[in-house]
Amino acid sequence: MRAATARGAAAARRPVVWLAAGVVAVLVLLVALPLGGLVRATVGPGADGAWGDVASGPLADALLWQPLRGSLLVGLGTGVLATVLGAFLAWVVVLSDVPGRKVIGVLAAVPFALPSFALALAWETVFRNDRVGGNPGLLAALGVAVPDWLAWGPVPVVLTLVAHYFSLSYLVIAAALANVGGDVVAAAELTGASRLRVATRIVLPSVAPAVLSGFLLAFAEGVSNFAVPALLGLPVRFQTLSTRLYGAISTGDAERGYVLSIVLVVVAGLVLLVGNRLTAGRSYSTITGKATRARLVRTGAARLPLAALAWALVAATAVVPGVVLALSTVLRRSGSLDGGLTWHYWVGESDPSVAQGLRGVLRDPTVLDALGGTLRLGVVVAVCAVVLGALAAAVLRALPRARALHATVGLLGYVPFLIPGVALGAAVIAQFGAPTGPLPALYGTFAILVLAGVAASLPFALQTARAAFGQVSRELDEAAVLTGAVAPRRFARITLPLVSRGLANGAVLVFVTMVRDLSVVVLLVTPATPLLSMTTFRYASEGFTQHANAITLVIALIAVTATLLARRLEPGRKES
Amino acid sequence: MPSRIRTRTRTALAAVPLALALTALTACGAGSPAAEPDTTDWDALTHDELVERAQEEGTVTVYAFTSRIAQVEAAFEAEYPGIDVVASDISSTELITRLASEHAAGSATADVAYVSDAPVVVTELLADGVLVPYVPPRVAGALPEEYRSPLVANRLSTKVLMYNEEAYPDGSPVQNLWALTEPEWAGKVVLVDPNVRGDYLDLATELSLRADEMAAAYEEHTGEALVLDEGVEDAGLQFLADLYANDAVLVDDTDTVNAAVGATGQAAPPVGFTSYSDRRDNEDEGWALQVAAGVAPSPGIAFPAQIGVTADAANPAAARLLADFLMGDDSGTGGPGFEPFYVAGDYPTRTDVEAPADAVSLDELGAWEIDPEASAARRGDVADFLLTVQ
Repeated sequence: MRAATARGAAAARRPVVWLAAGVVAVLVLLVALPLGGLVRATVGPGADGAWGDVASGPLADALLWQPLRGSLLVGLGTGVLATVLGAFLAWVVVLSDVPGRKVIGVLAAVPFALPSFALALAWETVFRNDRVGGNPGLLAALGVAVPDWLAWGPVPVVLTLVAHYFSLSYLVIAAALANVGGDVVAAAELTGASRLRVATRIVLPSVAPAVLSGFLLAFAEGVSNFAVPALLGLPVRFQTLSTRLYGAISTGDAERGYVLSIVLVVVAGLVLLVGNRLTAGRSYSTITGKATRARLVRTGAARLPLAALAWALVAATAVVPGVVLALSTVLRRSGSLDGGLTWHYWVGESDPSVAQGLRGVLRDPTVLDALGGTLRLGVVVAVCAVVLGALAAAVLRALPRARALHATVGLLGYVPFLIPGVALGAAVIAQFGAPTGPLPALYGTFAILVLAGVAASLPFALQTARAAFGQVSRELDEAAVLTGAVAPRRFARITLPLVSRGLANGAVLVFVTMVRDLSVVVLLVTPATPLLSMTTFRYASEGFTQHANAITLVIALIAVTATLLARRLEPGRKES
Repeated sequence: MPSRIRTRTRTALAAVPLALALTALTACGAGSPAAEPDTTDWDALTHDELVERAQEEGTVTVYAFTSRIAQVEAAFEAEYPGIDVVASDISSTELITRLASEHAAGSATADVAYVSDAPVVVTELLADGVLVPYVPPRVAGALPEEYRSPLVANRLSTKVLMYNEEAYPDGSPVQNLWALTEPEWAGKVVLVDPNVRGDYLDLATELSLRADEMAAAYEEHTGEALVLDEGVEDAGLQFLADLYANDAVLVDDTDTVNAAVGATGQAAPPVGFTSYSDRRDNEDEGWALQVAAGVAPSPGIAFPAQIGVTADAANPAAARLLADFLMGDDSGTGGPGFEPFYVAGDYPTRTDVEAPADAVSLDELGAWEIDPEASAARRGDVADFLLTVQ
């Protein structure tokens, strides 16, 4: 008893324990409470047997089992393929001598900045057959009979999502590869290890945390994406949990939708658990002492085929959808070349005969307002989320034996994607809409948007931070202890510079998500804080496709610029 | 049409006790703890008194499900210069969730809401006292009872069967809904999945509520009485089951239906259920959408866009003034407040406002007008049924 108290007292004297408590408290506030609200809603008096309907009885197959199979197929397919593609491109860009790899590096980050529906539209533009009617895709127009399985259903859904989310794996793994110590690789090569052995025994293990992080992010994004399965899956009645849960919420049966999102959280939790098991108990730290970059791999005869493959990948996922999106903003008629081209939707004055007199987006003062608001929100949320993610990762690293802490932070930091935006927004209103304790009512303020944004984008921040911290050797820290440096100083001078590239990537991902995403902020935004994503929604819902796509393109450009800027800011760039 | 008149009477009778119940509900249960009980008799105020009070408040916040609220904002501010309109437009689903969450949290909220998805509004907002009805006395006389209660409605939109008039220049290729369940239309009927979108679930629900008419139409079409499959409760559900079994194509939004049905240059285009008013985009989009008016027993539904005042409104007078403004002025077309909604294929609820030209009248169209309360009571079961047949 006394020993336990003494241990507790000793723990309480360590600042890191207090920091851990702080991180957990913030996660509980931002994630666990909304999740708790979700659970409460499904068991409350208004729930009307939602769990029973979903789990058993005649509806279980249509509500749970079929969509669950669809979601697992989509999630695992997206996760695995996106990781393979992302890892391949990361290797090409960071370690190979393939021509044009710098440009490939830029383009590989683009698909994530495009909206997922733009990639789905690009798919339709090529592969659409006569299943739905309307204008056929390119292949069908050329007389090629496109089978339904290629035009609609799980195959196009997975491939479209892979095209969208491989950027995640690419960014995380490229950051990790750039950190693989060149001295380690060189040492292995000196001892006569074959290239394959170096790859499988040194390089691959050292980026394993990043590979896992990339997979987990792509999996969670894949199972939570609604737009793509709805667009490409519904025509052949392919359902996922996300289409079912959004359907339930939007037809007024929110409780049933919440049950399905809890199912998603549980599934994702299991995947997270398995992923962590696979990498548990090993050390992946590769950054030791002097960080030199591994020298480039000479690919020899494979150089051009590899280049062709890498170029084809980024062309299909970044260039083609980007061009399709850009083109769609200058078509007089949405989705058809028949009406000719026009710049009206960008710069036109109000003309009552076009789009009910709506002027071009660059002439619309509200768009410029919204642009400012969007940038501000994106930057603030990115900074807050990355600070929180880095603190969480640092705490986990400092307390490797605190199992419960690892499980709590890991799960709470991973599941926010899976809480429907509407539910998260409603939970934030419930918590912060009215004054609670010392907090004033945050209704209609910028702060409430930031809180919701941080909650929703936490997985990016935490996963990228964990991947980055996982690489840094603890020995560095221990060496510094011997020199008498205090913990904050060790963190700031040693660890932080080494993880900065990973954190910068996390910041970009959060920023991009925030400028693009609508669902989380839609319940919280007021006209006092206009946002571009709201403007897009407004245009799209009135059928002004060109205006909506023009703004989407602006958002994508901002996101790409942010990605490039983040790369410029990276410390240690000069070395390479 | 006699059937419509009958419906109106029935709805009207049903609405009396409900209206009483709702008044009672809103009188006692509603309101956050912070709100002062509102004892004003709003109906007794003259228009000038209402304007005076609204001008003292000086501002009004509105949540609307359509971005056309921006035009209303400009027109309202021109008419009442002292009052600033703060408008948010978000989808009906989000609007309903937002109002309910803000009400429950006791946080600041809108003063007035302009919202579609009537059956959900009735169950989620009215029953919980989040919204209270306000029928502007100025227009009450010109409004049929079903558009005054449970909430006032200013217009009707539609989800009806449309076809491609370029491919079928001689009129609708379908005369009876049951034809859509036959091999000729296999894989050629497009609609938004009713399990994904509320207005299409309302359409499916109405088919079930009008089961008798559906059964009669079947007999008229085939000459035989309809025999229901095992486990199918009524003729409307039987139609939906047969339609799904006939490989109906479900999609994710209305514009996809429009493009599939309407795109010109198609040899054998599908037919589909969509909004009649989208026909106004034919020229812009290169569509040839036309409504299958007069198809038996009905081409689809007409449903209301409703206006309600929030129970916690910070600007209760301005809220009511805006509700009044949304109902239109006394000119034949409703004037500037109604102008954004004065489009062919949508229908004003006021009997003294002429329906826009370039569209068949509501009677000729023959669409069923939904009864939000009856629909709310039935739609859960219809949604569940649809889950079992796909």
